[in-house]
Amino acid sequence: MSAPAPATPTRVTDTTVTTVADLRTLRRRRQALVVSGMVLVVLVAGTAALLMGAAGLTPGQAISGVFGLGDKGDVFVVQKLRLPRIEAAVVVGVAFGLAGALFQSTLRNPLASPDILGISTGASLGAVIGVLVLGLSGMALSGLAFAGAGVVALAIWLLAWRKGLHSIRFVLVGVGFAYLGSSLIAWAMARSQEHEAAAVLIWTVGSVSDVRGEQLTLVAAGTLVLCAAAAVVSRTQGPLALGDDNARALGVHVDAARVGALLLAVALVALATSAAGPIAFVALVAPAIARRLVNDGGAALVASAATGAALTLAADVIAQHGLLGVAAPVGIVTGLVGAPYLLWLLATTEKRSR
Amino acid sequence: MLTALAALLLVVLASLALGVRDINPAEVWRALTAPVAGLMDHDVVLEQRLPRTIVGLAAGVALGTAGTLIQGVTRNPIADPGLLGLNSGASLAVVCAVWLLGITSPLGYVWFAFLGAAVAAAIVFSVGRGQPVRLALVGAAVTALITPLITLVLLRDQQAFNLYRFWSVGSLTGRGLDTVTALWPFIVVGLVLAAALAHRLNMLALGDDVATALGQRVGTTRALAAVAIVLLAGTATSLAGPIALVGLVVPHAARRLVGTDYRWVMAVGALLGPVMLLTADVLGRLILPRSELEAGVVAALLGAPVLVAVARSRNVVGA
Repeated sequence: MSAPAPATPTRVTDTTVTTVADLRTLRRRRQALVVSGMVLVVLVAGTAALLMGAAGLTPGQAISGVFGLGDKGDVFVVQKLRLPRIEAAVVVGVAFGLAGALFQSTLRNPLASPDILGISTGASLGAVIGVLVLGLSGMALSGLAFAGAGVVALAIWLLAWRKGLHSIRFVLVGVGFAYLGSSLIAWAMARSQEHEAAAVLIWTVGSVSDVRGEQLTLVAAGTLVLCAAAAVVSRTQGPLALGDDNARALGVHVDAARVGALLLAVALVALATSAAGPIAFVALVAPAIARRLVNDGGAALVASAATGAALTLAADVIAQHGLLGVAAPVGIVTGLVGAPYLLWLLATTEKRSR
Repeated sequence: MLTALAALLLVVLASLALGVRDINPAEVWRALTAPVAGLMDHDVVLEQRLPRTIVGLAAGVALGTAGTLIQGVTRNPIADPGLLGLNSGASLAVVCAVWLLGITSPLGYVWFAFLGAAVAAAIVFSVGRGQPVRLALVGAAVTALITPLITLVLLRDQQAFNLYRFWSVGSLTGRGLDTVTALWPFIVVGLVLAAALAHRLNMLALGDDVATALGQRVGTTRALAAVAIVLLAGTATSLAGPIALVGLVVPHAARRLVGTDYRWVMAVGALLGPVMLLTADVLGRLILPRSELEAGVVAALLGAPVLVAVARSRNVVGA
């Protein structure tokens, strides 16, 4: 009989369908697991940040403080000092994590991050000029930092473009701009008053201690809008990961998709940096951790954002309370964690990736 | 070679003559040969411009030679002591010396600068061995690792902070002649080593295998070059601060002038180093109306476009 021959493929297809469906569920479950794990880290670190500090609060005092009840001093400490700092760390962490994931999946290079690409330096430069030369503060300062990041990103882009965007060239041009920026920052610091220079020093490392009020609202709202835009862009990230030709075959406008994703990433970095300074390596490390945990070969955008938040908040708690007895800015901790990771990455990647 | 010498003479003259107060060359000559005490022009030349010119000469020679060596030994067109993290290693060691031991004189901390540069060099060369681009990235990563450590020290120690922010911009005015007189032996040792290694670098340019086949001990060459680089870069950093990109630009310019023979590139590089550094210094004096841009800042402004141009060139990226 010849009937079984056509029947076999049908049966296989059935199981294939169920297997694919199962895998999808599994993948979604895994993603949800990673994200909820990161949210848990945020909650734990957030609780620690609420309770620890010069004014030691009991859990009860802290909770009633969050809702504006109880002792006036406690309410002030919780609502004006500690909560904004926690919120800032989360918002900025989400922005950096998402931006890093977009950069890395679009350029298909685990090294691509705003720290290395010189975009953070652009923002720092804008801010330093704002503080030391123009005497700005608050929103105007953030605007200038945002503009600095944008201008430098555009310049790097134009200079690195030569019959297409080659990521190594992109990175090298970025390093050039980083040198330019840091020498100008050094010059501005040598020219300024001592206390101004100290403020600039802290800003150039990245700190979430002074992001509050109107500025915090603005950054949070902006990040939310950009996250929504990223959700739209993320549909093209899967096909792009298969290579330009395959993505084209799947109907993706490759260059447009890439430019869109990079613009979003630059905007996220510029926004976060304008408020908190270039918190080193969150954008580099968070997507790497998230991708490894989710492990589905995709860009892991949501998980990266959650990891960014968890990482930044945990690092801030450590920086504030656990480091050599100085209340250090968060960027020091993330730098000390991120740089060795970058070194390890460089030591273990044998082939240059395009 | 002659072009480079002429350029150097011209720049030295410019460095002595130009500034907020322009002094004509004849007057400069008189100040050097038969100084009249109390004459303003002569005092400016002898007490302000001569020391910074000599510091610029010493640091420039060291940086130019170190850059040529580093590019030769790594066969890498995008290497320089700053890019590879040596300067930041030296900076961290110096800042720690100020913080922990209270050392504030260049003669005291030059040893720490050597140590820091050597440690950074060891990390960068061991992790980044092989690919040119990776070497530059490892340098950036080491710098990124060291920067927060420096910041941490600076936040703790006011004295270190104030010393650092004037030192880290890279200036020729911070040090007097006594520093040069104390540190020149290190530069001389580095230069002698570099001169002795130039021929070996020519063979190394053909690849490790060819160099070995020609009877060279490649490991020894690398080790000696590393010693010379650390001596030169460490001394330059102690003299003038962490000046970036001079060591990157100079060898490229030297190769344009005399081709690829390292014996010539090394010599011309040693001359062009001070040309670039002093040009940066003189430009920095003239650029702003009532203030001054330090040599390190101008050098970065001049050097960054060159780095970008090299990065854009075909043979670096290979695509």
